[in-house]
Amino acid sequence: MSFKDSLYPRARIPYGTWGTSFFPAWQTSALAEVNIGQFAAESMNRILGLRRVPTAALDYLILGSTIPWHWKFWNAPMLAATFGRRIPGYHLEQACATGLQATLAAAAQVEGHGGDVVGVLTFDRTSDSPVGVFPERRAYERTFALNDVWENFGFDPATGKAMIATAGAAARKHKLDRREVDEVVFYRYQQYFEAKQSGFLDRVCVPLDILNLQGKLMGRIDQDTGVRQITMEALGGMRELDTCVTGGGQTHAADGMATLLVTTQERAAELSPRPEIDIRLVARTETRANPGLMPEAPSLAVQKLFAQTGFTMKDIAVAKCHNPFAVNDVIFSKLLNHDWKEVNRTGCSLVWGHPQGPTLTRSLIEGLEEAVDLGGGLVLLFGCAAGDVGIAAIFEVGDRARAGKTDRRTQ
Amino acid sequence: MASTSTSMRTSTLETLGLGTPLEAFRNGRLPVDTASLVDQVFGPANDRGSMVISGANGIVGAGKMMQFASRLQPYGVTIVGLDMPNAPDGIGHKYPGLVASFGPEAAARIMGGIVQLKYDGKTLPPALAGFTPRFLLEAIPEILEIKRAHYATFRAAFPGIEIRSVTSGFPSRELGVGVAHPAFPHEINKVFEIVEDTPSAITQLLWSMGLIPMEVGDHWSFILDVLFCGVALAALRYHETTNTPYWKIDKYVRKYFGPNPLRAHDAIGAKGANFLTWSCLHHLSKEYGPLFEPTADLTERKETGQTWYPPNHFRPLVDWALTSDDESEFQVAIAGPLIQMTALMIHERRSHLAHMNAIGEICAQFRSGLPAMIRSLGADKARSLVAAYHKQEPTAAASAWHADALDRLNEPEWQQLYVNAEHDGHIGVVTISRESYNGDVDAELNRAIDWLGAAKIDAVILSGDFHLATQLVGADTSEFYPALDDVKAGQSLSERWTSTARRLHTDFKTSVGVITGKRCLGGMLELMSHCHFVVATNGTQLGLPEVTLPVVPGMEGCHWNFRKARKADWPKLLTMLLSGKSVRAEETVGWLVDATGSMDESLATAWAIASGTSGIARRAFDQGALEGLPEPTGLPAAEGPSLEAGRKAILDCARASCGAPLADALSIQAKHSAEFMKTAACRKGRVGSEFIKTMAI
Repeated sequence: MSFKDSLYPRARIPYGTWGTSFFPAWQTSALAEVNIGQFAAESMNRILGLRRVPTAALDYLILGSTIPWHWKFWNAPMLAATFGRRIPGYHLEQACATGLQATLAAAAQVEGHGGDVVGVLTFDRTSDSPVGVFPERRAYERTFALNDVWENFGFDPATGKAMIATAGAAARKHKLDRREVDEVVFYRYQQYFEAKQSGFLDRVCVPLDILNLQGKLMGRIDQDTGVRQITMEALGGMRELDTCVTGGGQTHAADGMATLLVTTQERAAELSPRPEIDIRLVARTETRANPGLMPEAPSLAVQKLFAQTGFTMKDIAVAKCHNPFAVNDVIFSKLLNHDWKEVNRTGCSLVWGHPQGPTLTRSLIEGLEEAVDLGGGLVLLFGCAAGDVGIAAIFEVGDRARAGKTDRRTQ
Repeated sequence: MASTSTSMRTSTLETLGLGTPLEAFRNGRLPVDTASLVDQVFGPANDRGSMVISGANGIVGAGKMMQFASRLQPYGVTIVGLDMPNAPDGIGHKYPGLVASFGPEAAARIMGGIVQLKYDGKTLPPALAGFTPRFLLEAIPEILEIKRAHYATFRAAFPGIEIRSVTSGFPSRELGVGVAHPAFPHEINKVFEIVEDTPSAITQLLWSMGLIPMEVGDHWSFILDVLFCGVALAALRYHETTNTPYWKIDKYVRKYFGPNPLRAHDAIGAKGANFLTWSCLHHLSKEYGPLFEPTADLTERKETGQTWYPPNHFRPLVDWALTSDDESEFQVAIAGPLIQMTALMIHERRSHLAHMNAIGEICAQFRSGLPAMIRSLGADKARSLVAAYHKQEPTAAASAWHADALDRLNEPEWQQLYVNAEHDGHIGVVTISRESYNGDVDAELNRAIDWLGAAKIDAVILSGDFHLATQLVGADTSEFYPALDDVKAGQSLSERWTSTARRLHTDFKTSVGVITGKRCLGGMLELMSHCHFVVATNGTQLGLPEVTLPVVPGMEGCHWNFRKARKADWPKLLTMLLSGKSVRAEETVGWLVDATGSMDESLATAWAIASGTSGIARRAFDQGALEGLPEPTGLPAAEGPSLEAGRKAILDCARASCGAPLADALSIQAKHSAEFMKTAACRKGRVGSEFIKTMAI
C-alpha cells in the first residue's frame, strides 16, 4: 500500500457508534405505515442510546433519503427535534449512492469545521411510496402523476429505459453466463445467512419496536423479512426478465434506516467504545457509464479510484458493494479480475433489499465491522446509482496511535 | 379526668398551634372556628375587609381566586383579583369548573363575591381602597425585585396589611413577607407550604376552611419544589446520559415512584413550569452545589417554553424498552438524588416528617412519600443507592449529602408517618393522615394499637387526623397490583389488613370510629366499621364503591356490617354493596353508623362513648352463621358486563361469608376477594387498567 493521503484528515468515524434497522421487504412490516423520517430519527436516538452516545454530543445532522416523506420540507432540523435536539443540518440524495454521499458530506462538514460531531441519518420507505402530481402544460397529458418508486425504477428519462433493462444490456455487453450469475446469487445468500448465523448482523442491526397511535405495539422490526434461503435449482428455474436477470438475481424494495457519526479524531476516541480504532476516509470518486449500462458503472468507479490512488484489489481488506443486480458482481469480477466470492462476505443489498437511502450506509457499517474483525485494513465501498452512475470510496480502519503519523496532510 | 396526654409522636396539628386531636375530642369541639378567624383576619362583619390576590389571572392566582372565593363568600369577604390590563382572562376559564363543583346557582353567587381590578403593576387602582384590603396573596411573577416593590406599594397604601407570597422558591427572609406556597392544581389542591415564625391567624383560617397548611422551613425552594424539581432533574439527567425519550422516562418514573414529572410540566404549562423548575434548581445549586445543577436542555427550554412531550402529530413511534440492568440503573438515577435531597431537608429540619412525606404524596404524586420510601428501603440500602448514584454523577457527591440524616429510622417520627396515637391514660386516639389505606398505614396502625395496648388503654377513638387527610377514600388500589396475577398475594393482603381491622374489635373494650370530612369509602369504611361504635358528621358520604371498579371488598365489607345490623336493614347494606352508591351518614344511623351530628357534636359524642358516659347502646354483634340474606332488589340494571360480574362476585362473597361463623368468615371473604382479582372482569376494570397503564410499560 503506497497511498497515504486522507481525503478529510480531520474527519473520523467513531467505531461502534453506528447501527441500522433491519430492512424488511416492502409491505411486510409496520414500517409500511409510518412516517419513515420520524422512525429514522427516533431509531437513531435509540441506537445512539444503546451505544452510549448522548445525542447532546451531536452538533449537525445530515439526512439522506430518496423518496418523499411526510414533512420532508422541514428536513434535518425537524428530525433532530424529534429526539430533543435543536441542531442544524440538511438533506441530500443521490438515489442508491445516498448513504455514501451523506457520509462524505458529513466528513466534509467536519473538515470545514462546520461541526465536530455530525450525524448521518439515512432512510427510505419504498412501501406505498407517495405519488407526485406535476402539472405540465407542455405535455400531452397536461398533468403527470408519478408513483415515486415504481415509475422511476421503470423509466430513466435520460435514456427512456427501465433499470432492469440496464442489467440486461450490461449482461449482453459483457457476455455474461446465466449460470455464473445464478451462482453469484446463490453464494450471496449463503454469505448472508452465514453472517446472520454467526451473530455478525446482531452487531450492526438493532431490533426496533414500532408503536401505534395509542402507544401499543404495532410491530417489531427484527428481521430482514422477505429474505429466504434459495437453491441453485430454484434459481435455474426462474424466468429471465432480461438477459441474465431473474427475480432471484435482482434486489427487492425494502424499508429501513441506518446511521453513523462522523467526527474529529479526539471526539471519536471519546465517543467510541474502542477508542484505539481509527477510521478515516481515504479516497472517493464517481463516474458515469455509457447510457443504459448502469451495472458496469461501479466497476468503472473502482478502476478510476485505483488509478487515482495507486491501490489495487490486493490492498483491499474488505470489499462491499451495492449490487441491485447480480450481473453487477460478475462484471466487477471480470473488469477487476477479482473473485466475486471475496466481495460482500457478510451480505449485501442484493439479498437484504434496497431502501435506497440507507443501503450504502448499511454496507459501509458492515464493511467497517468486518475490517475490525480482520484487525484493520482498507475497506472498499462501491455501488451504482440511477443515471448509470458509479460511486466508490476507500476507508481505512487502523490504529489510532499510528494514524496521526501516517496522515501527510496533518503533518 | 387528667388534662395531660402522651403521644407516639408530635401531632401535625400542633405545628399549626391547634393542639392535638385528643384535645379536640376531649373538648368536644375543634380548636378554632372559621367565623372567629375571618373576624380576626378581615375585621368584624360591620367593617369587613377584603382579600386581594395579585396576579389573579395567572395559573396560581386564578385557581386561588376560586378556592378562596368559594370558602369566604359565606362570610361576606370580597375577593379582589388584581392583574395587568393585558393579562388573559384566567378567572373566567375557571367558571365551568366552579359550576361543576357547586352547581350554577352557588357558582354565580361565588363569582358575585369576586371583583377584578386592573393596574399597571406599579400604581394601585384607586378603587381598591374601597374594598379595604386586609390580606394580600401575591401571585405575581417570580422576580424578587418586582415582588419586593409590590409589597412596598401595598404597605404604603394599606399599612398593616397581611401579605403572603405564593412563591415556590424565594425564602421569606428574602421577600420580607410570609409564604403560603400552594400546590398544583391550584383550584383543587388544598395544600399550602407555610413559612412564618409562629402559626398565624391566616394559617389557622386556611385550616379551618378545610385547606391543608403545612409549616415548612425558610429555605431556597420549599419541600414540594425540591421534590418536584428534584425528580424532574433526575429524569432529565437520565435522558442526558441515555437518550431515553422524555415520555418514556416519565412512564418509568410513574411505574417506580408515582409522578409524571415531565408530563406535569406540560400540563401546568411548559413555559411557566420550565422556568419555575429551572429557577428553583438554579437557586438550589447556588446554595447546595451540583446536586441541583439544571441540565442544558432545561436551561434551553426555560427560554423556549418547549414542551417535553412531542406534539400529537409526532406521537412516539419507536418504543424504548429497558433491560433489567437498565431498570436497576434507572432506579439508582432517580432514587439516588431524591434520597440525597430528602436527607438534606431532614438534616435542615425543614418540617415535620409526616409533612414532608405527605407533600410528596399529595402534591408531587409520589406513590410513597420519600421518608416512607426510605424507611421501606432501610438506611443501608438508601445510602447504597446514593453511593451508586454518585458513581453515575460524581459531582453530586461533592456537597449536600447528609448520610447521617437517615440514622434514626427506628424512631417514632420515622415509624409513624401516617398513623399517630395519643392517650390520656384512659382513652386513646388514633389518627390516620393518609386518605387511602395501604401497607404502610396498616403496619403503622398495628404499631399504634400495640402502643396503646402496652399502656393498657382499653378505649380508643379512630379517626382521620383533622389535617392531612380531609377524607378517607378507601384502599390504595395500587396495592392490589400483585394480586392481579397471584391469588395468594391477594388473599394474604386481604387477611393481613382484615386482621388489623379486627384488632379494633378485639383489642379494646370500647372502640369508636369517627368519620368526618367529605367522604369515607371502601376499605376505610370497612376499617371504621370494625369499631364497636361508628360516629359520623352530618353530610359525610359513606359508601362501598368496590363493585364499580370492580373488586370484592376484602376487609369484611361483605359480612361484618350484616352482623351488627338488624335483619330488616340488610337490604340497605346489600344495596350499598351492589350499587356502589354512597349514602349520607345521617341516613345510615342504626345499620351502618351509631350516631351523627355536627362536627362538634360528633367529637363530643365519640368522647362520651369512649368515656362510657354516653347513652348510646352498643349494637349486638352476631358471631354465628347468618341466615336469611335477602335477594337483591331495586338495583338499577348493570351498565356492562364488568359491573354485572362484580355484583355477582360480591353477592357470592356476602352469601358465603355471612353464612359462615365469624371465625371462618375472615378467610372466606379473603379468598373470594383474591380470586376475583384474577378474573378478566377485574383485569379489564379500573384496577387492571391502571395496572396496565402504570406498570406494564
